[in-house]
Amino acid sequence: MASSYTISPQAYFKVFFHAAKHPHKPVNGVLLGNADDTGAVIIEDAIPLLHQWTGLSPMMEIGLDLAGQHAEANDMKLVGYYQAGERLDDAALAPVGEKVAEKVRAGFRDAVAFVIDGEQIGTDSAALIPYVPQASSSASWRPHSSNVQPFSPGSIFQLFSNDLPSRAVALVRDDYSHNSFGDFDDHLEDVSVDWLRNRTCLPADI
Amino acid sequence: MSISSALEQLASYRARNTRASQDTFKKGCAVLKSKVSIGDDGWAFLEQLALASIDVGRLDIADECLRQLFNKFPNSPRVAVLSGIRREATDPPEQVLKYYDDLLKMDDTNAAAWKRRISILRRIGKIEKAVQELAQFLDTFYTDADGWLELADIYSSCNQYTHALEALSHALALSPQNPFTVLQFAETAYTSGDLPLALKMFLVVIDMSESDIQAPQDNPPSGICVRAWWGIKLCSRRLMESRSHPGSASDTRLPKNLNLIDELATERVLTAYSGEQGTQ
Repeated sequence: MASSYTISPQAYFKVFFHAAKHPHKPVNGVLLGNADDTGAVIIEDAIPLLHQWTGLSPMMEIGLDLAGQHAEANDMKLVGYYQAGERLDDAALAPVGEKVAEKVRAGFRDAVAFVIDGEQIGTDSAALIPYVPQASSSASWRPHSSNVQPFSPGSIFQLFSNDLPSRAVALVRDDYSHNSFGDFDDHLEDVSVDWLRNRTCLPADI
Repeated sequence: MSISSALEQLASYRARNTRASQDTFKKGCAVLKSKVSIGDDGWAFLEQLALASIDVGRLDIADECLRQLFNKFPNSPRVAVLSGIRREATDPPEQVLKYYDDLLKMDDTNAAAWKRRISILRRIGKIEKAVQELAQFLDTFYTDADGWLELADIYSSCNQYTHALEALSHALALSPQNPFTVLQFAETAYTSGDLPLALKMFLVVIDMSESDIQAPQDNPPSGICVRAWWGIKLCSRRLMESRSHPGSASDTRLPKNLNLIDELATERVLTAYSGEQGTQ
């Protein structure tokens, strides 16, 4: 585990838009970024993968491969995985999620996974539950345990700025930004969907 | 957005059973406000708006739609189920389970009520019970293809891919013309590790989808075919990479010209991207 993980606006908004676009479906994707000299991880971007048949692997494997190549071409690595469950109260990291997170960890030792907190999303809270691998070899990922709430002052998990959640809500509610956002599933139906970059959905200052 | 175009869009959503609740709610409310006469589809429209309203959390609108439907159809099993769905939004699951139970006691042919019961069981995490009841349901209502697809989905989510494939076979038998079911079968077969079977079924998807195209090789693949060609590429690449003879739980044989298939899949995938600027 790294000394800290910081999520950029770009990455946070994309994760949020992905969940907002498919409110009654599970969604997942990967996180891109780098570790700096002190070992702190900056999560700079997110690439959304699936919202359909999230338990089946072929398209996930292809998407992961392409996302990895895109990361490399842009001087980044795959550093994490995110998912949102179908149900609001489902905060578990699905078996598929563990598999992907393990794959990401094979290429980046301090990989992290986030499950969107269905009860908290839409509030001022970051609504992301961090999952980390366990030290024992029976590698199963568990929610990061600490005295400090993730994304609160003093936590090793931080957002670039604390207004990101409320900005994200406004972008979805007022600008319908999630409508100009597409994932790999969307791309497979229409190859003009720019799932790797998704620039058009982001506000001008990002 | 004119009222008539809103009505058209809503009718199209109904025909395709699309769950675009935000848009449905917005257009549906505009139609309600306009007080325009909807004609024969009026009741189906109210049902649709009720469902969308529940989905976006506007229970007040849902209740209004339900009130009108109940007044018109006081003994309708369909309205009773819709009322159940409304209760699912606010009441504890055990209470709603009992409600559907009572409906079924009155009329055991109310398949929709049974399916709602099963979906609640799945939602509250009682997976074994949900599977048990769903299996019973499918014994009685064998031709409910959606039921078989749901069963396959539950099995897949528990990593029980063999059972998922069995359920998908039934769905396929019931809707053999549906390439999406074949695609789901192919992807499930791949996830279960049976690559030869997955490859075969991906090829069937292409066959089904291109059977009415004159010269498919002259055009870029689109829609479901892009997904299927990617699947073929993935399978053929992995099969060629593995030195040892690949196992197939279903005993499916490999096609003779695997390398030609791989070449074709590569060409088709690249062609799908032809004309796109800069994207992979």
